[in-house]
Amino acid sequence: MKGYGKYFLNKLIWLLVTAVFAFILNFILPRLMPGDPVAGIMARLAQGMANTTGLKAVYEQYANLFGTNKPLYVQFFLYVNNVLHGNFGISFSQYPRTVSNILSSAIWWTVCLQFPAIIVGWLIGNWLGALAAYLKKGFDAVLMPVSIFVSNLPTFGMAIILLVIFGVDLKWLPTSGGYGFNMIPNLSWSFMWSVIVHYQLPFWSIVLIAIGGQAIGMRSMSIYELNADYVKYSRFLGIKDGKIIGYVFRNAMLPQITGLALSIGTMVGGALVAEIIFSYPGLGFTLLNAITGGDYPLISAVAMIITLMVLLANFAIEIIYGFIDPRIKAAQSD
Amino acid sequence: MKRIFVVLSVLIVATMFLSACGTPTAAPTAAPTAAPATAVPAATTAAPAATAAATEAPVMAGTTALPRNETLYFAGQQWGSVVCWNPYSSNCNNAMAIAEQDNARVTMFETPYLFDMMDGKVYPLLADGPYAWDAGQTKITFKLNAAAKWNDGTPVTADDVAYTWATHIKYQDNVGVSDAAYIKDVVAVDPQTVEVDAVLGSNGKAVNPLVVQAYLSTDYVIQEAWTKTLEARVGGDATKLMADPAMDVAFSGPYGYFFADDSKVVMVRNDKYWGQDASMFGKLPAPKYLAHVIYKDNAAGTTALQAGEVDVSQQFNANVQDFWLKDNLPISTYLPDAPYDIGASLPTVFFNLASYGLDQVAIRKAIAMAVNYDTINANAMTGQSATFAAVPRSLMNPSAGEQALYDSSDPAIKALQFTGNDIDGAKKLLDDAGITVGPDGLRQYKGQTLHYVALCPNGWSDWQATIEQVAAAGKAIGIDITTNYPEANPFEAAVTNWPLPAGYDIFMMWSDGAGPTQPWGRINHLMNGVYAQTKNNWNGNWGGYKNPAADTLINEIPTLTDPAKIKADYTALVKIYLTDVPSFTAMYRPQSFHTVNESVWTNYPHQGDGTNPPVPPLDLTDGWSIAGLYNLTLVSQ
Repeated sequence: MKGYGKYFLNKLIWLLVTAVFAFILNFILPRLMPGDPVAGIMARLAQGMANTTGLKAVYEQYANLFGTNKPLYVQFFLYVNNVLHGNFGISFSQYPRTVSNILSSAIWWTVCLQFPAIIVGWLIGNWLGALAAYLKKGFDAVLMPVSIFVSNLPTFGMAIILLVIFGVDLKWLPTSGGYGFNMIPNLSWSFMWSVIVHYQLPFWSIVLIAIGGQAIGMRSMSIYELNADYVKYSRFLGIKDGKIIGYVFRNAMLPQITGLALSIGTMVGGALVAEIIFSYPGLGFTLLNAITGGDYPLISAVAMIITLMVLLANFAIEIIYGFIDPRIKAAQSD
Repeated sequence: MKRIFVVLSVLIVATMFLSACGTPTAAPTAAPTAAPATAVPAATTAAPAATAAATEAPVMAGTTALPRNETLYFAGQQWGSVVCWNPYSSNCNNAMAIAEQDNARVTMFETPYLFDMMDGKVYPLLADGPYAWDAGQTKITFKLNAAAKWNDGTPVTADDVAYTWATHIKYQDNVGVSDAAYIKDVVAVDPQTVEVDAVLGSNGKAVNPLVVQAYLSTDYVIQEAWTKTLEARVGGDATKLMADPAMDVAFSGPYGYFFADDSKVVMVRNDKYWGQDASMFGKLPAPKYLAHVIYKDNAAGTTALQAGEVDVSQQFNANVQDFWLKDNLPISTYLPDAPYDIGASLPTVFFNLASYGLDQVAIRKAIAMAVNYDTINANAMTGQSATFAAVPRSLMNPSAGEQALYDSSDPAIKALQFTGNDIDGAKKLLDDAGITVGPDGLRQYKGQTLHYVALCPNGWSDWQATIEQVAAAGKAIGIDITTNYPEANPFEAAVTNWPLPAGYDIFMMWSDGAGPTQPWGRINHLMNGVYAQTKNNWNGNWGGYKNPAADTLINEIPTLTDPAKIKADYTALVKIYLTDVPSFTAMYRPQSFHTVNESVWTNYPHQGDGTNPPVPPLDLTDGWSIAGLYNLTLVSQ
């Protein structure tokens, strides 16, 4: 295990170094955007008001409050201090709501939509891809073009198609919202049912495209593995097909697992397209508004969460690979 | 592997089976169910963690769904989550409850008077009878309706009005900093009588009586007792006071907080609302709940309107007439034919007078004359604007009240009122001014070819359609105008500063709609030199136009009482505006869009509905439009 220790320590150090650089970039990059977060608030106020005399003073109040009129390095140290105390700060665009409050109310919708969709899409897609590689001929001839077509559909295209067919024309499923337009959240079955029903279209709009993409990838990896020398050798040795396939898919799966980890890492960014088209609550739309409104604390917080999740997911994958990939095992014991 | 496949298949099949059996919306329950409803699973209320005073809504227990025939659903007002219920805050983003504007939103908080944009008058709400200036025009006095009460049962008194003003000044909130230059003090003469003392000018009269009057129909009366509770809670800190979520706020209006999360906001009727007194509306408003689902964009709101999930929509719907002409839906607008709504605001295209050549009237006027406004009306507004042939351009909105304020029969003005698409006239104007076409086919001024960039925020589709027409007009007369659509935030940050950055030559911005200070307020914002060429300018005149003659008239009008003199001044201002063309009106736009679905509720405000005072089509929430809530009836009855 001594070799493993060095391997893991190495990965951990890189994780920490990357995290620090990402943290600094997360702070600086949003603040380099053109525009002015206080201007967004002022614009909302100014429209519809005949007497705008006081807006200049109100502007100064907000600029002082948000610290946007301070030098960048001062803002940075304030930010670091706050984050170390677990305080992500107060949102500009939704002042005086704290960033933590916004994230906590939106993140669960995003995670509950994205995580199952990614997993289900991954599982079904890989299974279909492996099957196509194994069965070849008829099944493969149908699956391949369908997968290419579906995986290259833009998300908004898929979402709108599902919305129009199932929501508007057939009226089988609702067209918008996270739950019924007339419901108040509570622990009744009718509310839970409403959430499940409203979940379907956004869920399937993500899953169907994911299936297409995964199927193509897995099919290619499986074909590559099925043509490998050890497969032919195993057949000549008389090992059963079922056992060989077990070996084949285990090897073919490795790059797919890396892809899965990255998808899970970035899922907190939200399914923006699904959220807009289905008016589904979640972090994607919040993040878009934050970006267009120059809401630095919210952007920095979400970007940091995404960064950390990607880094952790990668780190976890590298740990797992260390155990399951025999080539790494062999390298460590050298 | 096989086991995973089996489990997954069962799960997927079960989900599909169950979802196929599901109805698009859950059937509303008529009475509260017995299901415990204290916990909120995925969505939380929007109350921020700023103070510990936030409490859960007391009325949520047992309610799982809003009864359809007791709820009025809205769209197009609330974008994004509600942040607070604090009338002292300027950032609550609480569109259903808080909007201190020309047509104040009086669902939860109330003003002494309500403005009616249909006739330009104000009607008492919390007040009793009209207000009156004293002979020297130094102060306004009005009485309060003795029946007016807060939701805790205590009466609304003059002390509340006075304390509200004192709080605005003490904590320097938006109202305080805006009105301090015009209002000196608000005094409670006795429990039912309020006196508003104006800031006086050198002539011993109110500096701006229009703004003082407007305060009475724009700004809320907030309870003194609750304000003191709030002040104690925040320890007198102004920032904390304005940031308080105010879940416990006292209100006098017909509706109060019921529920809010990232997906919707709901208000519930206070059945003890004082306005059911015979001296006011005589009954309660018809809907028990006012609900607004938070849609992500116009398309979602429109789909919901078509499905009957929205009753009142403040969204722009292109070709709105198709809803009832082609789709046979029970959807209607205030007017049965074009322009379908009452035009009130004048989206304006501004010239940056510091750009090369745009200091020349001939160039500005030629571009304005050449724009095809009928195409703008067709493309941007799909016919929902009055044409400039029907309502010739001036500084006034199409309402009868404002149109009567200038002399539209003056031949000098008529000669200036271009209707657009006058390519030949524009070319002649430029040729006569010596701005002729160069060898590359583009016009030159003093030997330099003219190039301009026209802009508006990205995604504002009706404005973008307008800017495209401005560019096309330039092309037709030989001036190179290209378009650029930055995001709203950098655009607004740029145009509200001076000097304007390079590439901001011609740009669109808003102008005032209907209100008690109009059209003066609009003209003031469009033309007053005091705003020109200033930094952090959220007032107007963003192109930097200065004309002392116009300033004199603008500063004089609020102090005048003689209608003939007022009309003469307004007429003179229109003449100056149409001669100098520092900016030009692109179209007429409704104060608010007002499209209603009559599948559940009916008897909305509409042309010829016989209401007196006439109920304006402002989505039943703004100004006198609130009276519309009392006239609604259920279709099923």
